[in-house]
Amino acid sequence: MLYSEDLLGRQNADGGWSYFRGGSWTEPTCYALLALAASGPAHQAEVRRGMSWLRRCQRPDGGFAPRESVQESTWVTALTLLLPPDIEGFDRSRAEAWTVDQTGRESGWVFRLRLWMLGVDSSTSDSMSFDGWPWYPGAAAWVGPTALSVLALQKLAKRGGGSANGADLKKRIDQGVSYLLARRCRDGGWNHGSTRALGYDSDSYPETTGLALLALHGVDDPKVAQGVARGEQQLALSASSEGQSWLRLGLGAHGRTSLPSKAPAMHGGVMELALAALADSAQAGKNSFLNV
Amino acid sequence: MNPTRRAWNKAVGMAAAGAAAGTIESCSSPPVRTQAWAPVSIYRAATYSEELYDLVRRIIAEHALDVRGKRVVLKPNLVEFDAHTVINTNPKLVHAALEAFRAAGAADVRIAEGPGHRRVTLDLADAGGYFATVPNFESLFTDLNLDDTTKVNLVRPVSKLQSLYLPNTILGCDLLVSMPKLKTHHWAGATLSMKNLFGVVPGGVYGWPKNVLHWAGIHQCIADLHALFPKTFAIVDGIVAMEGNGPIQGTPRTAGVVIAGASPVAVDATCCRIMGLDPARIGYLQLTAGVQNLGEELIPQRGERIESVAGNFAVLPELAGLRLSRS
Repeated sequence: MLYSEDLLGRQNADGGWSYFRGGSWTEPTCYALLALAASGPAHQAEVRRGMSWLRRCQRPDGGFAPRESVQESTWVTALTLLLPPDIEGFDRSRAEAWTVDQTGRESGWVFRLRLWMLGVDSSTSDSMSFDGWPWYPGAAAWVGPTALSVLALQKLAKRGGGSANGADLKKRIDQGVSYLLARRCRDGGWNHGSTRALGYDSDSYPETTGLALLALHGVDDPKVAQGVARGEQQLALSASSEGQSWLRLGLGAHGRTSLPSKAPAMHGGVMELALAALADSAQAGKNSFLNV
Repeated sequence: MNPTRRAWNKAVGMAAAGAAAGTIESCSSPPVRTQAWAPVSIYRAATYSEELYDLVRRIIAEHALDVRGKRVVLKPNLVEFDAHTVINTNPKLVHAALEAFRAAGAADVRIAEGPGHRRVTLDLADAGGYFATVPNFESLFTDLNLDDTTKVNLVRPVSKLQSLYLPNTILGCDLLVSMPKLKTHHWAGATLSMKNLFGVVPGGVYGWPKNVLHWAGIHQCIADLHALFPKTFAIVDGIVAMEGNGPIQGTPRTAGVVIAGASPVAVDATCCRIMGLDPARIGYLQLTAGVQNLGEELIPQRGERIESVAGNFAVLPELAGLRLSRS
């Protein structure tokens, strides 16, 4: 409730939210709307204003731009599909179709041909075999947008698939889950998606570990169990508010109700407010990323 | 700023090896310079002590930087935090620059950065000691990943990019001060004041990492960003530098220097020589300046001589071809 009041006070005049200050962005607006929706029906007017702003970011191709002035649809489209269907305000079916169609550039035949010419067999590399989602069209797939797209498509599947073909939907979800399992760091958690660089192992981060665990809810795999163990270690050590919130959401999705040991370092950003509200809500039994 | 996947790493590694062999391709080579670059100063600084405050004041005076009434943005290099190594620009040097530019009459001095891997920049800055070192850090800091943006068209781009969305804080400043850490880099060879400009590309638009830049060509994008901000002033933290598998997993190396100048090309070329690397074999310097324009004779040197502070920084075997031949 406290976070909801803070979020309402941060809503821009145009109905959207910025990250800290300034113009509205799609990402913080989606998380603020998710948090307000989770807090109950008390703020419908503000939610309608937020949706009205969000609608302006939907592009002719069906995807969403990260902010109104950007002329490209990006990963934020998945966030709009996480919003409850009863707060409609945009063309959801075209956003669904856009998301289902996106893959990392490394999934394309041109790149795979180039690798083959360099002597790299991408079909036998577990890190190259699965189609994830990119942040920005034309780039490689990464953990963040893949986890969010998996969550969005899982929600869609639970609602009956919307306009998407059921087989396509399942295939993309399965590919995304496999992608995430293949991108686990050696320490058990997840970072942005680069597990090794030139032969050296990279470490995982709290926020990406929590997000990946959330997308891997219900997946029965020893790698997930190791990820949960790593997430619990990170939650005990992290003072990052966003890191703690993602870990609480991710661990909660696997039945763990661990709480952080350190007080979170709050910086007053909209993302940290919204994510803290969503983590609290999930702990109270309503996980907005998983519930239909 | 790592692209993902072993195979992709291998492909990029091959491209870097190509750079080491001097094979970066460009449609046209820059003309032979008839004028010297702006001078580069090399100062000894053994530790991150209070003496840095006087040192940066000297830098501003010696390079005749007139910032009276102007908006200055200090752009350190924040990547990740690991207590066992030295990935990020030390906050003491950044605070010394903040105080020095204020004392020189700047109307506004901000610190701004947009890391390529970690989403919560303020957490990273906190871990890196910025909150403890810079009073009121949060009010002075802009996260360039999340700042308001404006689309900028690239004029005659070297990379495959035609335009970039860039943060208004950077576009609106009068002087951008690039403050990297002196480091080797496993793809670019060296990460210095020019490569540091990757941090001005907003993650809020392009993601974490800013992988679009890798696909468009790392060296080429560095050249394009330099062309957008050619008047950047550079102050390089080479007090405790990084060698080996930089920019993240390398080993600390005490070099005991601060390098500064009004030409990022000249500063980066000098930094390469201090690390024992040949600037003429670094792809983005080739593209920006041309191999023929990177000779020591074209860079007026102040302060310490390169030879007196230079060493042979360790590099990954793939980048051995970048080494400077000292004769």
